[in-house]
Amino acid sequence: MKGLIDLRRLGQYAAAAAAAVTLNFLLPRLMPGNPLVLIAGVDVGLLTPEQRAEIIARVGLDAPLWQQYLRYWADIFTGDFGYSFRASRPIVDMIRDRLPWTLLITGLSLAISAVAGVILGAVSAWRRGSKTDLGMLSGMIALEALPPFWLGMLFISIVSVQWGLLPSFGAVTPASGLVGWEHIEDILRHAVLPVATLSILSVPGVYLTMRYSMLETLGEDYIRTARAKGAGEGRVLFGHVARNAISPVITVLAIRLGFAFGGTVIIETVFSYPGLGRLVFEAVSGRDYPVMQAAFLVFTVAVLAANLAADLLYPLVDPRARTS
Amino acid sequence: MTDVSVDHGKAVPLLEIEDLRVRFELPTEVVHAVGGISLEVAPSEIFALVGESGSGKSVSMLSVMGLLPSPPAAVSGSIRFEGREVSGMSGRELNRLRGREAAMVFQEPMSSLNPVHRIGRQIGESLRIHRGVTRSEARRRAVYLLDRVGIPAAASRVDDYPHEFSGGMRQRAMIAMALACDPKLLIADEPTTALDVTVQAQIIDLVRELQAEYRLAVVWITHDLGVVAEIADRVAVMYAGRILETGPASEIYGATRHPYTSGLLRSIPRLDRQVTSRLAEIPGAPLKVSQELRGCPFHQRCPLGQDDCGDALPELEAAGAPAHRSACVHRDQMGPSIELWPAGAAGEPRTYGDGRREVVVSVRRLEVHFPAVRGSARSRRRVVRAVDGVDLEIERGRTLGLVGESGCGKTTLGRALAALVRPVSGSIQITGRPIDYRSGRRRVVQMIFQDPFSAMNPGMRVGDIIGEPLRIHRLASKPRIQERVLDLLEQVGLPPGAHGRYPHEFSGGQRQRIAVARALAADPEVVVCDEPVSSLDVSVQAQVVNLLADLQAGNGMALLFIAHDLAVVRHISHEVAVMYLGEIVERAGRDRLYGSPLHPYTKALLEAVPAPSPAVGPDRNRIRLTGDLPSPADPPPGCRFHTRCPVAVEGLCSIRKPELEEVRPGHWVSCHLVSR
Repeated sequence: MKGLIDLRRLGQYAAAAAAAVTLNFLLPRLMPGNPLVLIAGVDVGLLTPEQRAEIIARVGLDAPLWQQYLRYWADIFTGDFGYSFRASRPIVDMIRDRLPWTLLITGLSLAISAVAGVILGAVSAWRRGSKTDLGMLSGMIALEALPPFWLGMLFISIVSVQWGLLPSFGAVTPASGLVGWEHIEDILRHAVLPVATLSILSVPGVYLTMRYSMLETLGEDYIRTARAKGAGEGRVLFGHVARNAISPVITVLAIRLGFAFGGTVIIETVFSYPGLGRLVFEAVSGRDYPVMQAAFLVFTVAVLAANLAADLLYPLVDPRARTS
Repeated sequence: MTDVSVDHGKAVPLLEIEDLRVRFELPTEVVHAVGGISLEVAPSEIFALVGESGSGKSVSMLSVMGLLPSPPAAVSGSIRFEGREVSGMSGRELNRLRGREAAMVFQEPMSSLNPVHRIGRQIGESLRIHRGVTRSEARRRAVYLLDRVGIPAAASRVDDYPHEFSGGMRQRAMIAMALACDPKLLIADEPTTALDVTVQAQIIDLVRELQAEYRLAVVWITHDLGVVAEIADRVAVMYAGRILETGPASEIYGATRHPYTSGLLRSIPRLDRQVTSRLAEIPGAPLKVSQELRGCPFHQRCPLGQDDCGDALPELEAAGAPAHRSACVHRDQMGPSIELWPAGAAGEPRTYGDGRREVVVSVRRLEVHFPAVRGSARSRRRVVRAVDGVDLEIERGRTLGLVGESGCGKTTLGRALAALVRPVSGSIQITGRPIDYRSGRRRVVQMIFQDPFSAMNPGMRVGDIIGEPLRIHRLASKPRIQERVLDLLEQVGLPPGAHGRYPHEFSGGQRQRIAVARALAADPEVVVCDEPVSSLDVSVQAQVVNLLADLQAGNGMALLFIAHDLAVVRHISHEVAVMYLGEIVERAGRDRLYGSPLHPYTKALLEAVPAPSPAVGPDRNRIRLTGDLPSPADPPPGCRFHTRCPVAVEGLCSIRKPELEEVRPGHWVSCHLVSR
């Protein structure tokens, strides 16, 4: 049936997610050394023998592997990602605090870079070979080569420090007591620089894909047919080229999201932004393995979800991809 | 229609082209695609522009529509449409002309339709652009037009996407799109080349019918002289960017005054003539023009060519009948009694050996199935029965021709023979031994493919390409490989210097010779030729066909010759099998099959072939197959052909499946209505 979700495709994603969870389960248990360190963090050295015994019993490290595995799954479905002894908090609470901030800046930057990349790529391809095209092309290639932390620090030193326009760290002004619209404005002002940095970093990928895809599409026979019909430039561009050219961009955006999450580790650290990326950075520097693992799992699921969304979106753009 | 008269009392032509030149300035080279042509097309006439690939026929018509990308194209000269100069038009004026007054239909209907828009929307788009009609009015007109071009149940198909249409239906939709605004001129660029011969016949009929109804002028661009004879009033023959001959179709076919036209007409095998042992050949390959022509572009390949032919560019001049003009200084030496292009004697193809017969290939109850659709689980059990119970034999030194529409399974059968796909059941024996699917052991069956360029590794030198089978099968010791390769090059008529060069340095015909040499290197018992000449220029096809026949007469290889061109198959084959939806429906000796075909499908196929002679052309009263090949994933019950068969008997053909039976010695037919 037309438009119906392809069950096999869903199954593939479920399998990929299960594989990620399994890997996450096995890694600490297969690595050399005391698995307790990997499951409870390096702070186990500070624990009393009773506390250790309690953790071993609670995580079930004394049980057979298959029982541990089933239990691991049960924990994930009940939202139990373990306990961070370093932060003295359940990990799920930490993720709940951090995830919204990361979703905010990655979501915004992905949307911005998608729109900007598609438009700029389309303009560039439409005027292929012109000065505009070559200027944009070399500009984008230069942008892609920028180191992310350097760009972030440049923004801080110029926009925040020299011009004093925007805050340079955090997601909200601490202890400001702002409410309502002022609170939202405060959040947005804090998000501007991280979002700008992330967007600038992912625009070139979208731009290059769109430009190339447009050039390919412009050479297609059906574009010649459209011109032979007497279609004007605007009709050719928007009616015939754009929709065909955009399909590969959807796939690239999904892949881009994976990079965006990776990018947040650096960007959130540079801007001291309290998101998941910074949490990973903190966990890495504090060797808080359980937190790292939980964060990786969240990243994995998010990337899979983005790919699934792209797969579901694709048939809307290209009727040939609809199952019949 | 009113004739608009001008001073000299002549009707104003619809389209006038004067000294049109098109140059492509590419980064690596300059190509003079059109080198100064002039022509006129009158209102409501059918004008054919004939030429091989690269002759400039499409380029010249694309420049009429202003559709050449510039750069790299540089166009000069005058193009007038109803007296208005097209070449100086602004983009806006050009857009008013395109689609409204002059429309165009292209070769590949699939790629020429936008895959993401519905058919109806694409047809209605011209009306929306030029007539400013509403969306619903455009859709209503689209239904009418689809119905007019013969799409069954048009109202229910108008919202389909292009991929849901068959090839023939797509070309009908393209024609509907072109006619949406009642244009005065229709340019059809090889509109039937990508289609099967049965569908081609339908499209030709349709265009002729619409032309008469709408008083359209049609410029039909093609390389196929048979199609031209079917449809054209007047013809211009192009070569290397020049018009070499022009005139009424009957003159061109009956009394050509140019050696090139005469060569083309002589070198194509024809169903309406006796088979000769060899086809007449035009030597060499079409010219690629990289600088302004100084002399006759054809003189190096021409039997009348003399030194002075290369010194001055011949212009079109009156030759014989009125309106017949030829660009050949020797045009007056040509006449019906002079044979410029000698062919071999009539009769059987030359045969190998002493006439003793030995079966080399024996195929029994062969079935090759493929999964129907990738993806959804529900369809996993459905299969495409590409080859569904085929028996055949090929004897040493003989050729079995295999014909049928695309999708009938003929290519799959050839691939199964070459052990490239595995059958689900049945057996294939080569010289009495079953096929060995281990990759290193497939020496006995070799293949020659349709497109010789994509079938060769572009990074390998020709010597290595031909030598590879020798190394794989250890047929020659290392020092002897080179010697053997040079020997093979000589056999296929290539110079020894070809050895160290790369495939892209050769023309299409030469590349196919390389492919033949590579196949021969393995010293095979059987060579499967899958459409070996259909991607080649008309003037080169005869060379490759003659080469294959010569080689066979020398080494006794058995050939399976798969092709859609029934005339070529007739020329080279000893026996012919006709395939329909995975089954062989008729098999017989060549002369019997072509002379007295029994199966209605064979008859329809043969009748669909256009004869390159206007005399027998348009007025033939023939059986036309309707519709397209049904899906091989879901073949009709009973006789698979009954859905398209003009003589099918309800209650018999739709229920009982006919068996392939020997109705006369050596003549096998699978049809209820053919009695022994």
